[in-house]
Amino acid sequence: MIEARDLRKEYGGFPAVEGSTFSVGSGEVFGIIGPNGAGKTTTLKMLAGLIEPTSGSVSVAGYEAGESEMRHQLGFLPEESPLYEEMTPRTYLHFFADLYDVPDDVAERRIHETLDELDLQHRDRQIGDMSKGMKRKVAIARSLINDPDVLIYDEPASGLDPLTTNYIIEFTSQLAAEGKTIVFSAHNLFHVESICDRVAIMNDGEIVARGGLDELQAEYGETVYHVHTTVEVPDSVAKNGRYVRTVETMSEVETTREAAQEAGGSVIDIRTEESSLEEVFLNVADGRDSRAQSGKSADGSSSEV
Amino acid sequence: MRPRKILRIARWEVTKNAGGIDRKTAAVVAVTLLVLGGAAPLVVAQGGVTLDEGFYRVGVDEESPLYPVVESDSTFAAQDPDEELGSEIDLRIRATQVVASDSQKGQAALAELRSSVDSYNDRVMSAESNQSAAFPVTVTLEYAERNLTTTGGTDTLDGGTVNDGTPSDSGTPDDGGNDSDPADGDGSDGTIGDGSNGTTGDGPTGEESTGDGSAGGIGGIARSLTGSDATTGTPSDISPPFPFQSLILAFLFVIPLNFVIQAYGSTMLSERLNRRGELMLVAPVSRGDIIAGKTLPYFLGALFFEGLIAGGILYLQPDSGSGLYALAAVVPLILLFLSATFLGAMFARSFKELTFVTVSITVGLTTYAFVPAIFTDVTPIALISPLTIVVRDIQGVAIEPLSVLLSTLPPLFTAGLFFVLGAGLYREEDMFTQRPIPLKVLDSLAGRIHRRRSVALVVILLMPLVILAELVAVAAVYPISMGLPQPIWLGLILFSIVVIEELAKSLPIYAGFVHNRYDRSIRSALAVGALAGLGFFLAEKGLLLAQLLGGLPEVQQAAVVSAGPTAGIGPAVGLLLLLAPLALHVVTAATSAVGMRSGRQGYAIGLTAAIAIHFLYNFSVVMLVV
Amino acid sequence: MFDDVRIAIARRDIASLSREKTIVLALVIQIFIAAFSSFLVVGLTSLYDPGSVESGELTFGVSGDTRNELNEAAREAGVEIEQYPTRTAAMDAFQRGEVIGVLHADASSEQIEVTATVPDGSIQSTLAVVKARDVLEALERNERTNRAAHLETNPVPLPPEADASSYFGFTYTVLVPLLLFLPPFISGSITVDVLTEEIERGTLELLRVAPVSLTDIFDGKALGMAILAPIQALLWIALLSVNGITIDNVLLLVVLVAAVALLVVVLGAVLGLTLGQRRQAQLLYSIIALGLFGAAALLPEHPATVAAKLAVGSQTTVTTATVFGLSALAVGLYATTRRYVGTIDPERY
Repeated sequence: MIEARDLRKEYGGFPAVEGSTFSVGSGEVFGIIGPNGAGKTTTLKMLAGLIEPTSGSVSVAGYEAGESEMRHQLGFLPEESPLYEEMTPRTYLHFFADLYDVPDDVAERRIHETLDELDLQHRDRQIGDMSKGMKRKVAIARSLINDPDVLIYDEPASGLDPLTTNYIIEFTSQLAAEGKTIVFSAHNLFHVESICDRVAIMNDGEIVARGGLDELQAEYGETVYHVHTTVEVPDSVAKNGRYVRTVETMSEVETTREAAQEAGGSVIDIRTEESSLEEVFLNVADGRDSRAQSGKSADGSSSEV
Repeated sequence: MRPRKILRIARWEVTKNAGGIDRKTAAVVAVTLLVLGGAAPLVVAQGGVTLDEGFYRVGVDEESPLYPVVESDSTFAAQDPDEELGSEIDLRIRATQVVASDSQKGQAALAELRSSVDSYNDRVMSAESNQSAAFPVTVTLEYAERNLTTTGGTDTLDGGTVNDGTPSDSGTPDDGGNDSDPADGDGSDGTIGDGSNGTTGDGPTGEESTGDGSAGGIGGIARSLTGSDATTGTPSDISPPFPFQSLILAFLFVIPLNFVIQAYGSTMLSERLNRRGELMLVAPVSRGDIIAGKTLPYFLGALFFEGLIAGGILYLQPDSGSGLYALAAVVPLILLFLSATFLGAMFARSFKELTFVTVSITVGLTTYAFVPAIFTDVTPIALISPLTIVVRDIQGVAIEPLSVLLSTLPPLFTAGLFFVLGAGLYREEDMFTQRPIPLKVLDSLAGRIHRRRSVALVVILLMPLVILAELVAVAAVYPISMGLPQPIWLGLILFSIVVIEELAKSLPIYAGFVHNRYDRSIRSALAVGALAGLGFFLAEKGLLLAQLLGGLPEVQQAAVVSAGPTAGIGPAVGLLLLLAPLALHVVTAATSAVGMRSGRQGYAIGLTAAIAIHFLYNFSVVMLVV
Repeated sequence: MFDDVRIAIARRDIASLSREKTIVLALVIQIFIAAFSSFLVVGLTSLYDPGSVESGELTFGVSGDTRNELNEAAREAGVEIEQYPTRTAAMDAFQRGEVIGVLHADASSEQIEVTATVPDGSIQSTLAVVKARDVLEALERNERTNRAAHLETNPVPLPPEADASSYFGFTYTVLVPLLLFLPPFISGSITVDVLTEEIERGTLELLRVAPVSLTDIFDGKALGMAILAPIQALLWIALLSVNGITIDNVLLLVVLVAAVALLVVVLGAVLGLTLGQRRQAQLLYSIIALGLFGAAALLPEHPATVAAKLAVGSQTTVTTATVFGLSALAVGLYATTRRYVGTIDPERY
């Protein structure tokens, strides 16, 4: 559905995005994560046809980014979500419906339904008088007004209270379930974890890792095993009447079992703890993992540097 | 599809803003307009606004026959003749003897008195019973073509690119009629060549325009008589007095535009704040749609106001024209104001900046609009400003369609240029960030450049700015030229013109390079340079051609004059002289282009070289001819 | 301590203005007008100045049976003529460029009928028409004198010729007021901006958290903007003088500009504070400021006329009184507004 090849964006000689290549399949949810200034927003804007790449190409739904037909297939939600404060949600959404060539009756129905789904009250109040969460919902409704196949969301839940945040994440996964292709960026890795199929990790303008969550964890994550024993073994801590030793490899689990048996006890439990995406991300960002530095990703494709 | 989008956006613009003005503001606006509207008749009732009331102080006895003259002219303030001449009064009148104070003011007062006496006498005479004794002379004024065949000692003016017949050229002190008038950017490299391709002195098909106001706006006779084409009158019907009236009329048309561009600039800038306009950039609407849609309501609004004003004036003024010409002439002016504001709003970085920009635009364009219009009655120079057409239409003078074209095409063209430049900035990278202005300039130029050929087009489009800049340069050097020896101020003017022209040719090329529209090989640079030079040459000559065809007299005379000495030159040499400027422009542009491949410093070097070449060329041509 | 606060505010606003590069643009435009003024005056005068044209050009061809009268009239008008036996001869000379125009005069039963021919559509046409008019008006005067017996009243005798620039009046009645009153207008506009910007951005709150009252803010901003205008006026006056346009009564002019500046700044401040939104406030400011300028015609002397008369040295007591009257009005309005500002509840923002 989305193909990005060698995307590069320079601002006055300074590369904000370098040589990004990735693809997103139809119906996939693709997340882009990274610290501030990594180039996430710039990448998303290039996908949306808002910014022209310095070099490279990107196509959405078969069209070059920026072409008129492509814009009809796309729904964009920028990070700040600025709106026209003097309008009401209804007039605002009707305006954009017109811009996207949505027939009036269809637009009316869609607006009604979407605002219902988003649970937006006070539809005839001026946008300027609304809370941040409500404004974001209006913006989301706008991104759906043309019933696009592709959604590009830049930090959709940033700056919102936990309740609204949850709502929006839920909503997004619902959209995914309906078959829409979604690319979104986030800070909060928990959101990404819950709904993304695949993820790209960006740092300093480059994609340093990409792949499905499992693959990334296997590649960059640290799985640790907590071995619960009845007796104390070297490097274990007492906890709730038992002793826990944290080890990183299966062979160490074996040695722990042996040590416990030697001490006259046994292993009660072995708990596997996989790194969260947060930790994966930190590992990657810190370049702790040598493979991250060579630029290879879990699924084997490489990001061109 | 596009017109629909434009209209939709226009509708949104109107409703959005209407919603933005709350009841309180609307009430205040309404009250204000009412109060001011109520004051207007009062002002008119007390005789309107006479700016020069009591300007000159005249000491005069009540018994003097000149007393009624002084009393009837509001410019004079009558005082005691025994007061001190110079400090307390400017003229002293005892009986029929008039003494003026020894100053510019005194002389001006004397001149005013003289013309007052004349008009007073005419008024008195028109009450006489014996009219043939009162007006013993009747005059029929005729205009006749004449073919000048000599170059001898005429102070004809060079009609190159810069000279639209502006006073800047007539004022240049080195008279004595040479083609090398340095005020003209084209003069030194093209005049001689122009002579060979210009007409040999035949003006537009010798019609004898009797009393046709447009020929030189001098048909005062036609004007003061009631709209008919009669050309006979008394001597004082010739050449009306200094046209304050034109000034005020012109001013009336410009005032509403000031308000319109305030609101327009605001709304354009507000699209840039907080990234509000970002969503529209993503939507399937083109930049042109958005800009046209947002501009349309303001254009129509301004047109409506101007129409009202024109209608009002035409209604109140008897024997005026149809008003259609007036409206036709106002359109380019409105577009010029709007486009300049749009460009300003795209460059401004805050509302404070926008205020300055708006005021500057108002002042600048108002000056452009009505300073030439002041001379409506006096010289064809006035045609630079579309307001001249408006004023003439109101005064009921016959208007040649050609003069309408002449007045309206340049501002239309310039407005188009501004819109194009502004549109180049209507994109995400320029709208929402505080990008430094030089970069923005490059962006706006590059907006239109898609491949090498476009560079020529952009250079051509830039001509109005080139002309304007050259005019400003000449106007700036002129006042100080008095105190300097000729080679120095001549060199100064030449130098500034050369710099302006080289910048105009090289900046678009550089913009294209920076935006990677074409590659940086030498071949590519040469090609682009050649195209830019060609574009400039075409624009320059095209302008000259337009002036010739448009029949601006100075240009024709200059062409004739320069045709004189070259009349004996064969066609081959003539062609060579014609092509010399082309070669010059191509070479200089290519030099800059080759230099700028390696970035900013290379650009500076290449540009300096180009300037040097061009300057040498101009200077040597000037020296040859002078 | 309060004085410091207000001065600090004023200083900050002025400093931020100077950092704005576009102020340079506005100043450049005004400099251009001031500099252009002399060019305008001098350059255009030369259009009418016969001295700049070679004398051969000023000769008129004269023919017809009343040639002698024309001769006489031309001598009075200071125009050279060349007599020709027939009109055709004169027209030939005209076509050859030997004369700038042709005056052919025949006496009819009661009047002298003149046909004047001038070149078509060029700057020379202007000159020719002007000179022809001079000759013919002299002729008319002479003829009236000759026919005095038939007239009931005598025409008033003409004063001597003057060596004057045609644009003297224009310079003082239009150019000078324009240059003097533009800075106050801009100052008022900026005042609106400066206040609404603080309000819309919410930084007004920050200012107020410091021990600064709304009145202090008003004082600081208003005074800051109002000071700028007279300073600019002084600059333009200096520039004009350098260009040979002498300006009298500089002190009174500066007072006038300061008074007008204070008035419009107060207007701008009131609009900014009561409306709180830039767009509405600017719109109203423009309308009201321009409207007031027009309505000032109801005053005994319009401020523009006041400026013109002061500059040219023709001031009367009414003129000077108007200046002081405006100053008093400005100060009075400022004080009243200040008290009003004190009653505004800053929470409303």
